[in-house]
Amino acid sequence: MAELENPFEENLLNRNRAEPCTVVIFGATGDLTNRKLIPALYNVAACGDLPPQFKVVGFARRDKSDEVFRAELEEGNRRNSRQGHDEELWSSFAQNIHYHRSEFEDPAGYVRLKQLLDRFDRERGAPANRLFYLASAPEAFVPILDMLRASGLNHAPQGRWARVVCEKPFGKDLITARALNDTVAATFAERDTYRIDHYLGKETAQNIMVLRFANALFEPNWNSRYIDNVQITCAENLGMEGGRGGYYDTAGALRDMVQNHLFQLLSLVAMEPPTDLSADSVRDEKVKVIRALRPLIGPEAVAANVVRAQYAAGSVDGVARVGYRQEDRVNPQSMTEAYVALRLFIDTWRWQGVPFYIRVGKRLPKKATEISVHFKKPPQVPFATRRLLGNSSENTLVIRIQPDEGIAMRILCKQPGQALNMQQVKMDFRYSSSFGTASPEAYERLLLDAMAGDATLFARCDEVENAWRFIDEIQRAWHYSDKPPPMCEYPAGSWGPREADELLRQDGHQWRLL
Amino acid sequence: MSNAALPNGEALGLEVPLGSIERSLQQIWADDQAKTRSSLINFAIYSEEAGDLGRHCADLEAITAQHSCRALLVVNLAAETAPARAWISAHCRPYQEGKVVCSEQISFVLQGADAAQVQNVVFGHLDSDLPLMVWWQGSLKRCFEERLYSRIHTLIVDSSRWSDPAAQLQRLLGAWRSADFDVRDLSWTRSHLLRTALAVAFQDGKALEHLHELQHIEIVHGQGHRSAALLLAAWLGWRLKGGKPQPAAAAPQDGDASLQWISPQGGTVTVAIKAAAPAADQAAHSCALLSLELSGGGMSVRIWRQSCSSFIHIRVCAGEHQHEEVMPADSVSDAGLVGAQLERAGGSTHFREVLALLPHWLEATGSH
Ligand SMILES: NC(=O)c1ccc[n+]([C@@H]2O[C@H](COP(=O)([O-])OP(=O)(O)OC[C@H]3O[C@@H](n4cnc5c(N)ncnc54)[C@H](OP(=O)(O)O)[C@@H]3O)[C@@H](O)[C@H]2O)c1
Repeated sequence: MAELENPFEENLLNRNRAEPCTVVIFGATGDLTNRKLIPALYNVAACGDLPPQFKVVGFARRDKSDEVFRAELEEGNRRNSRQGHDEELWSSFAQNIHYHRSEFEDPAGYVRLKQLLDRFDRERGAPANRLFYLASAPEAFVPILDMLRASGLNHAPQGRWARVVCEKPFGKDLITARALNDTVAATFAERDTYRIDHYLGKETAQNIMVLRFANALFEPNWNSRYIDNVQITCAENLGMEGGRGGYYDTAGALRDMVQNHLFQLLSLVAMEPPTDLSADSVRDEKVKVIRALRPLIGPEAVAANVVRAQYAAGSVDGVARVGYRQEDRVNPQSMTEAYVALRLFIDTWRWQGVPFYIRVGKRLPKKATEISVHFKKPPQVPFATRRLLGNSSENTLVIRIQPDEGIAMRILCKQPGQALNMQQVKMDFRYSSSFGTASPEAYERLLLDAMAGDATLFARCDEVENAWRFIDEIQRAWHYSDKPPPMCEYPAGSWGPREADELLRQDGHQWRLL
Repeated sequence: MSNAALPNGEALGLEVPLGSIERSLQQIWADDQAKTRSSLINFAIYSEEAGDLGRHCADLEAITAQHSCRALLVVNLAAETAPARAWISAHCRPYQEGKVVCSEQISFVLQGADAAQVQNVVFGHLDSDLPLMVWWQGSLKRCFEERLYSRIHTLIVDSSRWSDPAAQLQRLLGAWRSADFDVRDLSWTRSHLLRTALAVAFQDGKALEHLHELQHIEIVHGQGHRSAALLLAAWLGWRLKGGKPQPAAAAPQDGDASLQWISPQGGTVTVAIKAAAPAADQAAHSCALLSLELSGGGMSVRIWRQSCSSFIHIRVCAGEHQHEEVMPADSVSDAGLVGAQLERAGGSTHFREVLALLPHWLEATGSH
């Protein structure tokens, strides 16, 4: 029978419409669910974007009733909801939240889950779509997927869909990512697989394509003829507070941040225009960027282009801080990097010879993620002998991802006065000062998209694998070569090791002052 | 001008000579380093009534709290011609570390000005390159002329405040055809989330299966909001591919309208448009639309707003199957509705269609 069309759909809100579904969250008593997922779903409801007959099933191992589970989530929502907490809305939203107690690896738990979902379908009068959200520790992803497959829950009833959302990290190298992709592929079709990278849900990350492709001012100049270098910085002033050292020390900056978030930003900045805005057109272009990264093979190439470092004792915001190896749950002999800086080249026509510099680190002076595009200087012959106030005469475009999302442009102007002196001036657009309404949280947008079947802001399997392939070579040089590149050091509260400054100085560049 | 004509003159800020508005505005920013000016649009309220200055200022304050703009208030009184007067002020909201972000407001009081004079005074004070959105208060009367509306990018009207809806509609449609501007009617915006709720209700496959059995629609509106109900009815008729609306066979009760159309399946669908009973809960009347019900055969979908709360309730019954949902409701304040419009870029194609159909509905309800 032909699908009936809802005549009242009018794309009223000009955004994705979630389809009726049940969301099953694996690891639902965890921090992510409490702080991010439930507040995000509640805020989607507050915007009127939740589908009818929506249900959440929380899956975890401790024994608790629906009521206790809801009360815990309510507490979390009060603290974390972007648009506050409304009793009437919460009570309507919460009555559709249920708790399911089971071990991830217990087949009987999945039989009972299936019975529960079937019961909901009977109450609804029709089978529902199902979204399985893997919000557990990554080691549990494979067992959960195996169980979903064995229980048949991965198969949607006729005319419905079953999708899976995978949290980060997606593997810890190419081999584990491939193995995970294989398990995912044996369980769900790629079009039903949504790999979260919450950076893609951020407003300014989504704005990169608009900025590049919708503005005649930038589109023609976005290439090696006009761009001198691009810098991507992700600075954290935090260290290993709250016990995060345990996980971090097994991952490091390169795997925790560069392979996923920063490569996603890099792809958005460097990609060719997609033919349309469909998920695959956009991702086809993004993956080409990662594939075109000039590989860094062997310890010499890695040493010449990558700087790794750990912070030593120092102070941040006037507070004394211990060094990385003295942090809680960090191995005192750790060889895990808390900072990494990379010089990358993208071997495409558009980017020939343009270095892309990436740096990410803990215990830097402030929290900031931004992309800066540094334009080549014009000949400036008539001004060559003129004085300049400022540290550089190049035009720079800065895209601030967080905090204080916005765009700034640095240009040169004549200083007022009789003399012809030049000065840098900054034109600054800030989302928060121009728009009074707060942007949705990344998880709101991503959950809505997953329920609507739009995978544009999720990583595809080939993106993930190509990124790991590149990262693995660096890891190999660091950890398995005879002459591993050194582990550098920087005082906590500084902008990273001197070696990272040197990396740019060799090219006649310097890191942008943040 | 007498103080009687300008009851809240002080609410307008600092009076300045027309010729030095821009200079005086710059002074505001020069004097206070903690203030940042921000503007994404020129937003004007245009009124030909004297009495509402306080309300207009409050509306502009509410709008600028969410949307940075150059705010303009133009009150053009039908009195004897007198020189125009101007005031400046700023609406500020906290931003970062003791800083505030502000939108400027320029208020003009004109007397006996024609469209050319309005254009001359007002358009000289727009923030250049930014689009102009005008919220026209009340009926489209004296100055609603080509030279004025041809400069507007988006015109906001409120058909619930029109004295002669049929004539006003013709005037609006005429202008719209001749000039390229976007139109938004707050009476249409008032049903925005109700229409969303209806779409949500019929995302339910069971309800959708039964939709062809529809026989009856009932819309209950708050006092003074018949236009919102009519626009909603016209939209329903169009979406359901109903034939031209006709007065229903049964005579309507006092103040109600009862219409019918022929469905594509050849059945009759009746539409009852009712005002909420005057005795109803007082809060209910601040709401434009109180309920919408679609029923027939084994299906009934009811969408309602209890005592004009911030939520819409949806109840879907299709045979044995039933469920309820809760969704956010549209703002009841006019400024809130305008703010919602500012958030939604681009015009609504559905509204264009409905506006073109509205004359038939006015005719069928005897409002022409
Ligand atoms: N937290 C964040 O801000 C954040 C941010 C980005 C990504 N992530 C990712 O999100 C995932 C979850 O992180 P989290 O911080 O929420 O983890 P968490 O707080 O440690 O929560 C783990 C959850 O898994 C459940 N669980 C553990 N073993 C189980 C088993 N054998 N059977 C059934 N349930 C079991 C726990 O249930 P019990 O309570 O019943 O033991 C708990 O609900 C991770 O992949 C992480 O990398 C987290």
